[in-house]
Amino acid sequence: MYDITTGRSAANGGFSRRSFLRVGGLAPLGLGLPELLAAEAAGGPAARARSVILVFLGGGLSHHDSFDPKPDAAEEVRGKYGTIPTSLPGVRIAEILPRMAQTLSSVCLVRSGAHTNDHHETATNWVLSGRFGTPFGDWPAIGAVAAHECGFGGELPPYVAIPRNPSFTWELGKSAFLGGRYESFKAGDPHEANYRVRDLLPAESLPQVRVDRRQSLLAAVDRLAARVEGNDAIRSYDEYRARATSMVLSSRAREAFAIENEPDSIRDRYGRNTFGQSCLLARRLVESGVRFATVNYGGWDHHAKIFEGLDKKLPEFDLGFSALVDDLKQRGLLDETLLVCMGEFGRTPKINKDAGRDHWGPAASLIFAGAGVKAGTVIGATDRDGGQVVEKPVAPADVAFTILSSLGIDPRKHLSTADGRPVEILDAGRPIPDLFGA
Amino acid sequence: MGKIQRAAIVLLWATVCCLEPRGTSAAEPPSFVNDVEPVLTRYGCNSGGCHGKLAGQNGFRLSLRGYAPEADHAALATEEYGRRIGGLDPAESLLLLKATGGLPHGGGRLFARDSTAAGTLRAWIAGGAAGPVADERRVVAVSVTPKEIVLAPGEVRQLVVRATWSDGAEKEVTALARFHSNDHAYATVSPDGIVRGEQHGEVAVVVSYAGLVDTVVISSPFPQEVAAERFAARRNVVDDHVMEKLQALHIPPADDCDDATFLRRLMLDLVGTLPDAEEVRAFLADTSPDKRALLVERLFERPEFTDFWTLQLSDLLQNRKERDHDVRGVKGVRSFHAWLRGQVAVNRPWNDLARDVLTARDAAPAVGWWIVTVGEKQAVESEAADSAAQAFLGVRIGCARCHNHPLEKYTQDDYYHFTAFFSRVALDRRPPAEGATLLLVGSRQQRDLERQKGGVEQELAKLMTPSGDGGQPADPAAIEAKGKQIEQLAGEIEKARSAAVTATQPRTGRQLPPQGLDRRAAEIAAGADPRERLAEWIVSPDNPAFAAAIVNRLWKHFFAVGLVEPVDDLRATNPPSNAPLLAGLAGEFVRSGHDLRHVMRLLVNSRTYQLASDTTAANANDRRFHSHYYPRRLPAEVLADAIAKATAVPDAFAGAPEGTRAIQLPGPQADSYFLATFGRSDRVTACACERSGDVTLPQLLHLQNSDTILGKIRRDDGTLARLLTATAAGPADPLVDGLFLATVSRLPLPAERAAVDAALSGADRGEGACDLLWALLNAKEFTFNH
Repeated sequence: MYDITTGRSAANGGFSRRSFLRVGGLAPLGLGLPELLAAEAAGGPAARARSVILVFLGGGLSHHDSFDPKPDAAEEVRGKYGTIPTSLPGVRIAEILPRMAQTLSSVCLVRSGAHTNDHHETATNWVLSGRFGTPFGDWPAIGAVAAHECGFGGELPPYVAIPRNPSFTWELGKSAFLGGRYESFKAGDPHEANYRVRDLLPAESLPQVRVDRRQSLLAAVDRLAARVEGNDAIRSYDEYRARATSMVLSSRAREAFAIENEPDSIRDRYGRNTFGQSCLLARRLVESGVRFATVNYGGWDHHAKIFEGLDKKLPEFDLGFSALVDDLKQRGLLDETLLVCMGEFGRTPKINKDAGRDHWGPAASLIFAGAGVKAGTVIGATDRDGGQVVEKPVAPADVAFTILSSLGIDPRKHLSTADGRPVEILDAGRPIPDLFGA
Repeated sequence: MGKIQRAAIVLLWATVCCLEPRGTSAAEPPSFVNDVEPVLTRYGCNSGGCHGKLAGQNGFRLSLRGYAPEADHAALATEEYGRRIGGLDPAESLLLLKATGGLPHGGGRLFARDSTAAGTLRAWIAGGAAGPVADERRVVAVSVTPKEIVLAPGEVRQLVVRATWSDGAEKEVTALARFHSNDHAYATVSPDGIVRGEQHGEVAVVVSYAGLVDTVVISSPFPQEVAAERFAARRNVVDDHVMEKLQALHIPPADDCDDATFLRRLMLDLVGTLPDAEEVRAFLADTSPDKRALLVERLFERPEFTDFWTLQLSDLLQNRKERDHDVRGVKGVRSFHAWLRGQVAVNRPWNDLARDVLTARDAAPAVGWWIVTVGEKQAVESEAADSAAQAFLGVRIGCARCHNHPLEKYTQDDYYHFTAFFSRVALDRRPPAEGATLLLVGSRQQRDLERQKGGVEQELAKLMTPSGDGGQPADPAAIEAKGKQIEQLAGEIEKARSAAVTATQPRTGRQLPPQGLDRRAAEIAAGADPRERLAEWIVSPDNPAFAAAIVNRLWKHFFAVGLVEPVDDLRATNPPSNAPLLAGLAGEFVRSGHDLRHVMRLLVNSRTYQLASDTTAANANDRRFHSHYYPRRLPAEVLADAIAKATAVPDAFAGAPEGTRAIQLPGPQADSYFLATFGRSDRVTACACERSGDVTLPQLLHLQNSDTILGKIRRDDGTLARLLTATAAGPADPLVDGLFLATVSRLPLPAERAAVDAALSGADRGEGACDLLWALLNAKEFTFNH
């Protein structure tokens, strides 16, 4: 059974010639925004962004102790940190985020993220896909949909996760029914000494004569495709072998991942830790044509001794995220890159007996920047204790809707499951009101 | 299109259009269930993409394809103060104006103001817009004619659909039926039921009306003529039906594969293991005429057979550690794995094995299946029912949890009747240090009472035991009170034990007793484990899905493409590519006493299995009828083991004893980049789709560049090093032969040998050999079974 929207052929689990040709045609690398706009003018929403960087704070950042402080609340709600003024008049955030306080005028702070689930796996798959389902991931993550809709643009895969996808017991935010072809490419940890993308740079560097010899030996012994016509797995194999070879050989792909080529001053500005270097790598990747990069920064699940945890993590976040915003801006990339920061939920208003905060779906803070996002604004608010959103709630579907339409993808488009069931990318949601504008 | 055909269509269409809608006469207004719902379904108003989705569309929500008529009636007639059908003139109602394009409508104009459909809706509104009527006649059968159509590409034919009602009435309903082609590449069908051949091959078109379905098979034989003798050679029931089908479609079968290909193919498919060079040489040298059949028998006895089929069953039965609350840990996974190995080793009949799993209790190893499928929920609300149906019957009933199955007869009621079998299961989880996790049978209330009774009994025992030296005399009054309490609790326990077994249908709130998906009620004796009846129904020879499901899985295992695809989605609307073949094999399976090896033997000894994978222009487009062997990438575990064997460098898997091969791993918890990247099953659900045969970019990067594989090539005690020392340089250097045998399990062809020699000329012998081994490991002839 062949389906035109997914390009999947259910009868043999492979891919059709048509989809092969569609993604196989080597489009020029990194289409510029004007061309994209023109290309996509025909159908779907107008693209605002060439790329998306999603910074995912897995485990659930405490909004009280970061971007939505409640200095007037009772002590067991207020928490340890005082507040400081920011570059936005009248807006204060936790004192432990001094750089973000400066950068706030470049972003839009959404204080009204809200949903109804307090379970890591379920909520993570919900916010990463925009659709509610089981903890096992019934719906493709936004990045996988972007890969499906945007296709392979050049030597680099369209969708990259740094260092990898979120995971508690199992991997989350996967491509679900879209299949392995649209899974994120895992970049690994760029903070590791001698960082290399797995399998991209071989340990042994071969002289050209041996590279050539291997290719001619392969041509001599790999004859199955010549004997068997019409096999989708064989075609995919040859397509990806060509892509793998060009990724390995292409200086552009190598260069994109070669974080060691960044000046020390830049690397220091982002922070010499996994999160900081992941943000830096994300910038390098979107610069090189990657359409969707996820920076996955977990470890925010502070059920106990939350301030010990945040004392360590928030400064890393403050440094890395503010560097990313500033750097994208300085390079002129922010105009065509949508930057989003969120976790799967916020945390409980009341500090528990273990000096921690627990899972809390009803309220969370999110950050948006770039690609026409109105800088220096705050959307939404929570109540006195930060427990409930009282103004302009933003649902997971709204976030996904906003991201997808920014890329020029119609969020209500029908995709098809492997068994041919038509499903909308999103079954709800709308662009976040007031997010975009001069 | 021929003139006569076109005339026939026009004539037929005229008949269809002129059909008087029921109830346009003033005497009897149209029925909501029998006339209005079919219109809403036919025009897609209540489809999953429009008002039928859970959230509805623009505030107007209908049940998916009309499974909940009461709710639909409320949505149309009473919601929004009835404005959807209100107004003086029914023709000016919102419902009709939207549907006929009189008002802007996201779904567009669906039918004309003067159409039959509009007439039905108008008459229904004019007649008072009544809702569903209790005990109204209902549709009991739908049938499409013709049943089989031979159609050349470009040719068209009108389908005719008739419905039969419970009062015996029969009517043509073509205009209100829905049509769906299972593969648009082969045939398309218009909303009016005109089917059009698109390319040569065969496909089913599904017809549905009032929740009932029928199918019609559209065949389009290839134009080429193929001599009859090409189909003549047949070894068993497999070939009888495959060759029959190929002959009917004019698709020539490939030639037989050669011995080396057969050995490699069979070993990879049957024992998940690459042959080594000696095995290849010995098999090629063997001159006995029945050496292929003898090989099959020898392989059944190999320990790798047990390893490999335990892996298959472990996928199917979801042997994994179920998150943190699965306190059995890895130990529990190993114990279920060991039990499955035992079953495979003695070739346990499939019905017995299934029954053991479905009725596992206390600390039986197969309780592992329940721990995973029940998860953190109550068994009756968990995935256990869905998993049981999918694993053992190849039936996906999960759709019916929320709404009637859109492509099958299963209703929401059917689903909850089925889950009632699971309502007496409870898990008592314990970490291994405190004993085993137990599966207990009984309602929650019964177990609470039993716990209470146990407590009182302990208290009583304490009273009866004289304490200390000499001790206090027991207080007779207290003893008597405890005794009475125990008696009373025993009575309550008995009451709870014999309470009716039911599950709650959440939409209607009704308590439904257990019944199989064939709607035959199951009598459950008071206090009995309802799962005994469940297992009985599932494995019964009267339940055709039980044999068909496993036979189809085996078929897909050996032939890459199931007779039904997806392999675990058996339903009337998804007919097999070769129905007599599936029926024939299922019959063989049942008659053999549910003997899995018997079916495997039939499959691999067939001519069909032993066809070459090479295609010709005449059969390259065939992807369903098995005119040639369809090559596919090796499964994750098999490929990992094949690389280890070819390089003679074993893998080390975390948490597994040294020397454990990938096909021997008990669960998916072993951290392995290779196995995860090449798509092993995580076993989270019963869906066969969890194991992925997809080819992806990280796989190709890994094969080309991974340090692990490059390290295996270079290891000083590996294949390459051994061959380099054992052979000597020279014009007849056996090094090349050795590398071919170790990887692609055959000797190089002269042309290949020449090309390889040319590429290696002038190279350092060691470096050149290293490059050749790299190339062979990256060749599809190695990474695929072909």
